[in-house]
Amino acid sequence: MTGLPDSYLHYPHRRRGLDHDRFAFRALPAAAPVAWPGGARVALWVAVHMGHFPMDAPAKPFVPPGGMERPYPSYWDYTQRDYGNRIGIYRLLRVLGERGLRATALMSAVLATRYPALARDIAAAGWEVAAAGIDMGHLHHGGLDEATERGWVHQAVATLRGAFGPGVRGWHSPGFSQSMKTLDLIAEAGLDYCTDWVNDDMPYAVSTGSGTLTAMPLPYDLSDQRMLHQQMLPTEAFTDAVLAAHATLDAEARASGGGRILTLAITPWLMGQPHRIRALAGLLDALQARDGLWAATGREILDAWRASAGRAEKGQT
Amino acid sequence: MLSEPGHYDYAPYRRRPRITWPGGARLAFWVAPNIEHYELEPPPNPRRTPWPRPVPDVLNYAWRDYGNRAGFWRMADTMAKYEVRGSVSLNTAVCDHYPEIIERCCELDWELFSHGAYNTRYFYDMPEAMQREVIRDDRATILRASGQSLDGWLTPALSNDETTQHVLAEEGIKYTLDMLHDDQPMPVKVRRGSLISIPYSLEVNDVPLLQLRNTPPAQYAAICKAQFDQLYAEGAESGTVMCMPLHPYLIGQPHRIAALDEVLRHVTAHDDVWLATGREIAAWFTEHHLAEFQAWIDGGTP
Repeated sequence: MTGLPDSYLHYPHRRRGLDHDRFAFRALPAAAPVAWPGGARVALWVAVHMGHFPMDAPAKPFVPPGGMERPYPSYWDYTQRDYGNRIGIYRLLRVLGERGLRATALMSAVLATRYPALARDIAAAGWEVAAAGIDMGHLHHGGLDEATERGWVHQAVATLRGAFGPGVRGWHSPGFSQSMKTLDLIAEAGLDYCTDWVNDDMPYAVSTGSGTLTAMPLPYDLSDQRMLHQQMLPTEAFTDAVLAAHATLDAEARASGGGRILTLAITPWLMGQPHRIRALAGLLDALQARDGLWAATGREILDAWRASAGRAEKGQT
Repeated sequence: MLSEPGHYDYAPYRRRPRITWPGGARLAFWVAPNIEHYELEPPPNPRRTPWPRPVPDVLNYAWRDYGNRAGFWRMADTMAKYEVRGSVSLNTAVCDHYPEIIERCCELDWELFSHGAYNTRYFYDMPEAMQREVIRDDRATILRASGQSLDGWLTPALSNDETTQHVLAEEGIKYTLDMLHDDQPMPVKVRRGSLISIPYSLEVNDVPLLQLRNTPPAQYAAICKAQFDQLYAEGAESGTVMCMPLHPYLIGQPHRIAALDEVLRHVTAHDDVWLATGREIAAWFTEHHLAEFQAWIDGGTP
């Protein structure tokens, strides 16, 4: 028996709202209704996890989803993921391009310099690029000192803006991981939105030491990384779940009069496999057959939200 | 350390006194949404690390936060559609953090019972005086937020200490959910006072199914319906209880909510179901069956 100190029952943050001051609590039904272009009900955001996984990535403080899971030197893990940036991504480019869809690439910065041909092809396809850190071996976490983390953020943003221009406006931390300072640092680097907090279906404002960011919904629970890789479910479990999510969101948009967002989070080394690519094509066809759908990139959705609901919510506070 | 909880005697699932539910129902069906707050920076606990990643575990924190911001509202609407009330396993700090959630629960005539203050404050090795302090705080908080009495208990994160059930009884808690040993209510042996257990579930609980066992939504619905069908059939002989624990960060996701709709549609399509709350089940059993069960147990379960 070790017992517990009296301080174990002290609740320093027990108060109205969240136990941190980054953003306000907002119940989904209380979100200001958003108007999408053309009166669409559901915005479809295809977000593609384009990570580079170094074979010597540290196992501490944790291995991110899809990280090096086997002992060094794991050719299995490294090459399976690298396949995504060689082969799988080109299947995704084709399947999306054939349907007039553009994605947002959540890209490890090193890909822009390691694989310049890939970077050119992504740019030529009209995809948006958002910064996803330096690579999957550079995890942002609470044990990182601020100067180091600032250097990583600036290096990632500078590299990707060098390759893709000022349209790089979003941030996704490798493995959805942040330190207490990450939000400040990505705002300081001049970015507009962040995708790491999987707590909402709609955007919301985040305050930082360098102005306001917008949190954009990027699911983890409903993603190929979670369902196909971690949970080892069959492909159809993922595609069925996406269609079910669309039905729910579309019905809510009809009932509430405000738009919703369906974010399709996919990964080239998973959905870009030969045995899965037709399932992705079928999923996209099924979604595009449903009316009231507006397919857009993250920054387009961000701007539309800021111009309507975001403005209204700002006015309330 | 104890080799067993010591809170109940063996009682075979045969020759038991017959349970009859109100209106002759076969099955008492109750839904227990866990409405929780997991702290971003919880205090350390010698027995359990709250988050799998270093603080701040943004991914896992935000996932739970989804339940309060989005999932709860969707789940509550679906339950209201079938007029199924919830019995909330409540981290009582939610009353302070998100009073709008409590207002919605009260508007729907849901019961609130305690699941501790936060799901990141564990009871392992907690001195009894501290356990009492939590229970009293929870009692006062629930009364203040809803006007309800605190009657039920599920230890936060199922982290009970070996003393917890005794303390619950001494603090006037009427029913506990910490034990999974039965499909019917049972008296709980405590050193003073009285306490009964009523069935909770880790079998048709969305955390083990959806998060740990990777169950797709359609299969989750099928499992819940199978659980119901069997307990409903057995309830023709003697009343049974089915609890459906929910966590809005899981069941309230857009891709899963239809599964809850399907289960509730199935359950409410049956005539001999008592749509109850935990408090109602505990009160009915205590008033109508407890003495007979206790006598049967005291007689060696003949």
